[in-house]
Amino acid sequence: MTQALISQILIGVSVTAILVISAIGLAVIFGVAGVINMAHGQFIMVGAYTAAVIGKMGGNTFVAIPVSFVVVALLGLAVERGVIRWIYDRPLETLLATWGVGIILEVVMKLIFGPELYYVGAPKVLAGSVHLVGRLPYPYYRLFLIVVAILMVAATFYLIFRTDFGLKVRAVRRNRAMSGCLGIDTAKIDMMIFMFGSGLAGIAGAVLAPIKSVSTTMGFRYAVDSYMTIVLGGVGNLWGVPTGGGLIGEGETLLAYKFNSVIGELLVFIFIVIAIRVFPRGIFGYQERR
Amino acid sequence: MLLLGAAVVAVIGGFPVVAGTDSYILLLLGKFLCYAIFALSIDLIWGFTGILSLGQAVYFGIGAYFVALSLKINYALDHPTRYGNKFPDFMEWNGLKALPHFMEPLVSTPFAVACALIVPTALAFIFGVITFKRHIYGVYCAVITLAESLILQEFIIEYQAYTGGFNGITDYSNYLGIPFLWFMLAVTIAFFLIARVLTHSRIGTVLKSIRDNDLRAQFMGYNVANYRIFVFCVSAFMSAAAGAMYAAWVGIISYLDTGPVFSVEGVIWTAVGGRATLIGPFLGAFLVKGLEFLLSGVLAAFWQLLVGLLFIFVVLVMPDGIVGSIAHWLRRHRKGTLTQLREEQDLLAHDREHDWQPAGVPRSGEESV
Repeated sequence: MTQALISQILIGVSVTAILVISAIGLAVIFGVAGVINMAHGQFIMVGAYTAAVIGKMGGNTFVAIPVSFVVVALLGLAVERGVIRWIYDRPLETLLATWGVGIILEVVMKLIFGPELYYVGAPKVLAGSVHLVGRLPYPYYRLFLIVVAILMVAATFYLIFRTDFGLKVRAVRRNRAMSGCLGIDTAKIDMMIFMFGSGLAGIAGAVLAPIKSVSTTMGFRYAVDSYMTIVLGGVGNLWGVPTGGGLIGEGETLLAYKFNSVIGELLVFIFIVIAIRVFPRGIFGYQERR
Repeated sequence: MLLLGAAVVAVIGGFPVVAGTDSYILLLLGKFLCYAIFALSIDLIWGFTGILSLGQAVYFGIGAYFVALSLKINYALDHPTRYGNKFPDFMEWNGLKALPHFMEPLVSTPFAVACALIVPTALAFIFGVITFKRHIYGVYCAVITLAESLILQEFIIEYQAYTGGFNGITDYSNYLGIPFLWFMLAVTIAFFLIARVLTHSRIGTVLKSIRDNDLRAQFMGYNVANYRIFVFCVSAFMSAAAGAMYAAWVGIISYLDTGPVFSVEGVIWTAVGGRATLIGPFLGAFLVKGLEFLLSGVLAAFWQLLVGLLFIFVVLVMPDGIVGSIAHWLRRHRKGTLTQLREEQDLLAHDREHDWQPAGVPRSGEESV
């Protein structure tokens, strides 16, 4: 019993890692640029397709990570310049416009790659698994995902809190007009941060491709899970995304083990609704003075 | 205005008499009425009060499933399944031996209709109490409602023995016919009038002020949360009624009718027609859905592409929708009466509102890192 429980908790850790990987790009875009990017899931999908193409050309996940980052960051640049920059002051309408962007991406990818599923293999180094507890095999790739999640969070927070660029980003976030007066190009900061967040979604697609078949509709679920992670954890603190991801990941895994996955999701959803009643801006969110 | 409305009603009501009862267009007409009510319910909360819900289809779907289940159970009583059982065939396929006890009351259709209307409204009330009382709205509300409808969808698929799962509920005697079309038309008109009275009353003014600036509305002494909960319940009731009629009319209901995609579609109909107008949702639903039925046969893949572009177009170019844009144009080209001038002032104030922010309080959604 304890052994089964421990192995479930370990599975929960890797679910958490997946949530963190997919949510971190969104946390940057939503938390810093204040944009609700409903096409985030489709950005992940494009990253996964990029990894699939790299895989077809003989590369592996390690090659796909930087390529997906660049490809999806450029996609983000196009979306930001084409659509979002006109509607920064209307967050709820960004939601609708980016929903449209998501639909377009799905259709375009379907036209290019066809309706069939693509499978991406894990790199050979990461094949196989280790027995951590009892007889349950724990794939190396899941360990790799945990490492990637930690690295992505660390890199993001290094960028935001330890670099000049991050300082400007935080200044713009705190007081846009004043930052503009001090000579910061606020439009450029918005653009860069949207590109960076999109690039992170690309990495997410690249590393998540081997654990799930790549299809045009794969992204939506990731987007919703990412939003729930952010809503629960709150943005603006190093621990927000991992905490939200951890609570949801462990909760869903353990409850799915006890009941079934749908009941697990339902209970976690109810928990989230109650949690944000207590913490309206997420557990680690900045409390708005209202 | 009144003449126009009467003309539309006469066309829709008189159409089946002229064109015959079993045309495909008759089916579409009834569907469109349900879609229009659905869009109107979204307009009430989004256009007039500023709550964007991406889970309005939850209420539509629950209403529809109650009615569909009841009709299906009754249908199975008269039409035994292949093995002679007198309960719905999808339950038999999933290994149930008899109708589950908790579904037995649904044999009575009036009870099912009551459930279809009351359960979603109660759910909306609970949801409203939990979220609006704590100033959770805007993006957070949108995300939570989105997840809500996604989970309901998965619930329906998982418990297919009770809900029909992926295949949905089909093969029951539906009410497709002229009398029911007229009934739906009457309900649509009734809801339109209710919405008209509501939005032109004192309550409607408070709702609009909440949309434009909830902080100021609160300073004026209005209980913002209660107004939000009230309008959310009214809206849920309307979409539940639309769903119930939809299930009775079309004769097939599936998990897609409760999903986030359908909810967002409703939002876009409202946006295309013109939010914060009462004719807008009707116009949007008929236009977009009509176009879909015309075009999706011709260019199946490109229809989705067009929908995506429509989203972006409406937000970037025509945020007031068709009706709103026409109204703007008319105002500019006609000598305004006092009421019109006053409305224009309101609109201007609304436009300026984006530039206005109280000192020291970050704009909503603009928090520090």
